[in-house]
Amino acid sequence: MAASTTAPTASTASSSPMAFFLQGETGRNTRGLLRLIILCTIAAAAVASRLFSVIRFESIIHEFDPWFNFRATKYLVNHGFYAFWDWFDDRTWHPLGRVTGGTLYPGLMVTSGSIYHLLRFLTLPVDIRNICVLLAPACSGLTAFASYLFTSEMSDSPSAGLLAAIFMGIAPGYISRSVAGSYDNEAIAIFLLVFTFYLWIKAVKVGSIMWGALTALFYGYMVSAWGGYVFITNLLPLHAFVLICMGRFSPRLYVSYTTWYALGTLASMQIPFVGFLPIRSSDHMAALGVFGLTQLVGAAEYLRSQLPSKQFQTVIRSAVLLIFVVAFGGLVLLTVSGVVAPWSGRFYSLWDTGYAKIHIPIIASVSEHQPTAWPAFFFDLNMLIWLFPAGVYMCFRKLKDEQVFIVIYAVLASYFAGVMVRLMLTLTPVVCVAAAMALSQILDTFLVASAPTENDADTKQANGTPAGANGSIADKLSSALPDTLRSTKSPLVGIYSYLSKSLITGAITSYLLLFVLHCTWVTSNAYSSPSVVLASRLPDGSQHIIDDYREAYYWLRQNTEPTAKVMSWWDYGYQIGGMADRPTLVDNNTWNNTHIATVGKAMSSREEVSYPIMKQHEVDYVLVVFGGLLGYSGDDINKFLWMVRIAEGIWPDEVKERDFFTQRGEYRVDDQATPTMRNSLMYKMSYYNYNSLFPAGQAMDRVRGSKLPADGPQLSTVEEAFTSENWIIRIYKVKDFDNLGRNHQDATAFEKGNKRKKTSAKRRGARVLRVD
Amino acid sequence: MEMRLLLSLLLAGLVSTVAALSAQGSKLLVVLEDESEKSRYSQFWTDLEDRGFQLTYRTPKDPQLSLFRHGEPAYSHLLLLPPGKGTKGLGPNLTPNLLVDFISAGSNVLMALSGEQSIPSAVSSLLLEFDISLPPDRNSMVVDHFNYDSSSAKESHDVLLLPGKNAGGSKKGVADILSVDGILALPHAVGAVLGNASPLLNSIIKAPATAYTYNPKEEQEGVEDVFATGDQLSLVTAFQARNSARFTLLGSVEALQDAWFDTTVQHSAPGSKSEQAANRAFAQKLTGWTFKELGVVKAGPVTHFLNEGSQQNTSDLTTLSDINPSIYRINTEVHYTIELSTWSVDHWVPFTPPASDAVQLEFSMLSPFHRLNLAPTTTPANPNASLFTATFTLPDQHGIFNFFVEYRRPYLTNIEEKRTVTVRHFAHDEYPRSFVIMAAYPWITGIWTTVAGFVGFCALWLYSRPEKERVELKVKEAGGR
Amino acid sequence: MPPKKAQPSPSAIPASAAKPTHAISTASSQPTKTPNKPVAATTATPSIRNAQDIQQIGTAVWNNYVEKTAQRTKLLDAFMAFLIVVAGLQFLYCLLAGNYPFNAFLSGFSATIGQFVLTASLRMQTNPENQAEFETISHERAFADFVFGSMILHFFCVNFIN
Repeated sequence: MAASTTAPTASTASSSPMAFFLQGETGRNTRGLLRLIILCTIAAAAVASRLFSVIRFESIIHEFDPWFNFRATKYLVNHGFYAFWDWFDDRTWHPLGRVTGGTLYPGLMVTSGSIYHLLRFLTLPVDIRNICVLLAPACSGLTAFASYLFTSEMSDSPSAGLLAAIFMGIAPGYISRSVAGSYDNEAIAIFLLVFTFYLWIKAVKVGSIMWGALTALFYGYMVSAWGGYVFITNLLPLHAFVLICMGRFSPRLYVSYTTWYALGTLASMQIPFVGFLPIRSSDHMAALGVFGLTQLVGAAEYLRSQLPSKQFQTVIRSAVLLIFVVAFGGLVLLTVSGVVAPWSGRFYSLWDTGYAKIHIPIIASVSEHQPTAWPAFFFDLNMLIWLFPAGVYMCFRKLKDEQVFIVIYAVLASYFAGVMVRLMLTLTPVVCVAAAMALSQILDTFLVASAPTENDADTKQANGTPAGANGSIADKLSSALPDTLRSTKSPLVGIYSYLSKSLITGAITSYLLLFVLHCTWVTSNAYSSPSVVLASRLPDGSQHIIDDYREAYYWLRQNTEPTAKVMSWWDYGYQIGGMADRPTLVDNNTWNNTHIATVGKAMSSREEVSYPIMKQHEVDYVLVVFGGLLGYSGDDINKFLWMVRIAEGIWPDEVKERDFFTQRGEYRVDDQATPTMRNSLMYKMSYYNYNSLFPAGQAMDRVRGSKLPADGPQLSTVEEAFTSENWIIRIYKVKDFDNLGRNHQDATAFEKGNKRKKTSAKRRGARVLRVD
Repeated sequence: MEMRLLLSLLLAGLVSTVAALSAQGSKLLVVLEDESEKSRYSQFWTDLEDRGFQLTYRTPKDPQLSLFRHGEPAYSHLLLLPPGKGTKGLGPNLTPNLLVDFISAGSNVLMALSGEQSIPSAVSSLLLEFDISLPPDRNSMVVDHFNYDSSSAKESHDVLLLPGKNAGGSKKGVADILSVDGILALPHAVGAVLGNASPLLNSIIKAPATAYTYNPKEEQEGVEDVFATGDQLSLVTAFQARNSARFTLLGSVEALQDAWFDTTVQHSAPGSKSEQAANRAFAQKLTGWTFKELGVVKAGPVTHFLNEGSQQNTSDLTTLSDINPSIYRINTEVHYTIELSTWSVDHWVPFTPPASDAVQLEFSMLSPFHRLNLAPTTTPANPNASLFTATFTLPDQHGIFNFFVEYRRPYLTNIEEKRTVTVRHFAHDEYPRSFVIMAAYPWITGIWTTVAGFVGFCALWLYSRPEKERVELKVKEAGGR
Repeated sequence: MPPKKAQPSPSAIPASAAKPTHAISTASSQPTKTPNKPVAATTATPSIRNAQDIQQIGTAVWNNYVEKTAQRTKLLDAFMAFLIVVAGLQFLYCLLAGNYPFNAFLSGFSATIGQFVLTASLRMQTNPENQAEFETISHERAFADFVFGSMILHFFCVNFIN
């Protein structure tokens, strides 16, 4: 302890002015300051790279789910927290309504709501929309900081944390869900995820109730923010379990795990949407089981310390095993008997990728639930993906409790990311951390290591300085450097020469620059499109904004009754609710499969079948998305088969997927299309009047590249109300019942001047008598 | 109260200035083939004018003839007399499409046909839209060898005599609006066949079971493949569109003529006496119904409120603080009231449904959760309307519900009153608190025992601390040695 | 005493997890009880040895405990025993009378379990034998942490039971 007073003298001994700043007490401060500045810069970079969409387009909420979150936030801000909690939303899922307050993760809305009120309090009136738009970038800055802390716990090298921070800041895998305007649960959830992990590691390391309790608190926050909290719920017990199995049970683990579980479970149960799930559903049973196991092992350890007898220990051990088996059996029994809810469908689809396709088409229909294509890994993570295994390997070399965590995390997250595109998001943090560890190891090896002679001198000096956590880099390095490397040390091998140093450094720098370039390119090109507004290039290279969505939604807002119900496929439910402010039948919160199937049936059936369905659900307008004119491939005809499939799941006798394919099994829209296809409401609404845009017989669908039949479809139960500039959105008004009680086909025919020829038809066959 | 008084005064003023007996309007357009025909119906016109109608006469070829003016119907009612011989239709201003539009705009039409004149194809095709089929043979009329007027049609048997009390059908639960005393004479009637599907159609007068259609010009003895027989033939047909616009098809225009208003007829059945035809009374009733003097029901204000707490069983609606709320909670009791009144000559009177019929309220989301008969009462607040009320408990299902009163009956205007309300779930603070539930007490005790134990433990811990440190020191020393 | 299966039905994990600890801590913490109490408890393990052996071991454990344990740790143990009793009573009541207000049962039971776990943690942290594991945590810090954790726990439980 006395050594600390000698530190200043040691630093003054060095001659160069640079060394003054880099060594000793002042050096520590300087480095601390530098680190802070670097972190701030990283945070700024992280925020800045997410602002492409704001600059390119405007400050607008993106995609689908964010529109709901935005709408919910507005409700929260306008009506207060308690009203939000009890919110019964009568403008979605008409006419069922949705108990929104109890079926959402409120963390995101509450966060931005409190930011809004805080800024109000500070007399900074900021539009809630801007808070929502910029929340994700702001959180990404925090994530960078959290991953710095997290990595610093893993690695002794200070550069690892900084590298992890910058990787986390700009990795496209994370940017994909956190650009400005992407106001989604993941925006804050990833920050909470990383920070909870940091706290957990800290708790395991220190063994303090406080860190455990903080972990639980942030876990509770995470639960309130994202359904992906189940990942933490299973990862932490797994970590504890693996540690126990490795014979690494320690009182620290007991303290941190039990504190986290006891408090965290209670915290998660405070969220209305989660409720009793933590003790009812199988997803949470692992945590409970490990909690019991920890108790057992803790008790056994305690007894062991009290009892010297070896035999008795084996008895205890077998008892522990027995109880564990019995408890597990009990759990299985409970699951079978139905007390504990079985695994949710989404979970099954994690293990068996074909499961969802067969059993739950609604889950399989979501693009982000599809298995990941392998180029996506390179696209989203670039060079990190090959540094990642190296980093995991580094963890194996120095396998302490926290490294075990990284290894488990890496294995699990890699698997899940492979199964579901969406879970790439949970993989990104661990990839960044592992890659940073690997890269910092390389950099430390080649940048800092000086020739052995100097090194000795340095070591001497370093030994004089306090060898705490903030010791000089060289000192750290010498401890970090493995023996194997040290054994190969020889002045002749080029590792200390400037040539090899500069070569490696140059290579790494260029890799890093390439990485930055790639990240920027991906961010600006792939992830910054709001998808509400589309951009295209004109032949002269200038940007052309295609704003059909908003055009149509504003048309709805301006021209229809505030209570006019709009039927559309569920993808657009949130947007209609958010932008057009009109009630919808189904939306992206796909809680009621039957209701979605009803819409699917209405879309895929003949008009005569659809009309009663629409009338029963009081539909006033039907909205379809049609990309045929523009070549916009994400349109409803391309999603149509999912509607058919989902409807078939409920009404297998009335809707059959096979009927939409031609004899040769093709899905066609041209004159080869099956009669079922051509008579379906969706087909008719998509192509109604489309012929009129082209010379006779020349109508082309640019998405599917097929020529359309010469005679366009005829509509009788709905009438065209609006078609946007590029025909992307088409809105139809559902007609009322005919005033004279005719069916709509006859009424339309009459209006066109066709005379009815009823009598002649009636004369054939048996006479139908009127009974009254 | 003053407001109410003022309003009723204003209303009274309005009623007196309108002075029409129709609940809808007094402008009546009469389309007849020839001005000369007018005189044959003089009593009929007088009757109409006496009842406050302003008659405008036009011929189909009149260039001034137009059903619409500035896109709105120019007349409330239209009376079409049969077009003359040889005309193909009703002229360019009375095309079927225009007539359908006229009805869709809410106006009423009385169309009279005659077996004497051939029916233009345009009329047939128009009638087909109402699901009314006319004989393809355009000159046929209904004959009956058992129910004819033996004084005027001894040979041809084409003047049908029918009891007036059957007009409008005498079914249970159907308002008796059109029946008249006495006997009706329907000469040269055109019989129509009504479609089976349309609930909007009703036959006011059916042909007797022994009647059939027959074309006198075909000079045949027997008839093969007859168009329709018996009570499948409707002689006078009522059609009420969904918007309550009325269309009446009278098979025999002659029945409105002066000649048949005060003639005496004698039924062909042996032993029957000759008596005065009741055509005039029937014509009044028929036009009265068609032109919205009879069978007009309207819905007044709809109120619903929470029948709980301070509002329970309130009879005076004005004292309610929260009337017609847009949101209710599940499982609460709700009171629903609708005012219905019916038009009587020149003012609204309380409406009472026909015997063995009731106005029903549906509380529905996708399908009805409740379907209740509403109990009629009168209210002192509004003597012109009867109050239909129901009190019920909301279902245990949240969602967007409709209070839906749909009252569609033959010969009465359609009542369709829909009020949408949201039924929400229990709010977080509306569940019983744990300390209200007796069963929760053990666990509340458990918590507080734990907390008390914790506090006691902390106190003990802090109290015994100095000693601890000494022990600790000793242990440390022991360890150090 | 005959071997007694102290194990309840395996209907809930916390119970089966808590029970053995129950047995162990009652064995080690209640000074007034006679030493044959732990005998009954430890025979929950497969009974492959005779009663005498167990009695001997039990006595040894008990003597060991009385000699080595500090006063303060005994206080902790007493508190833990108290919590076990409370938890056991609640669980028993739940089995007998059903868990009708489920949230009340959960919060009551988990408050006790959580408190037990926190106390056990405190015991570990303040145990001199574990000094090496908890270098950075002084006893005052440990106690402060304990209070912090308990406060959060109580807040959640009271909030959950409303």
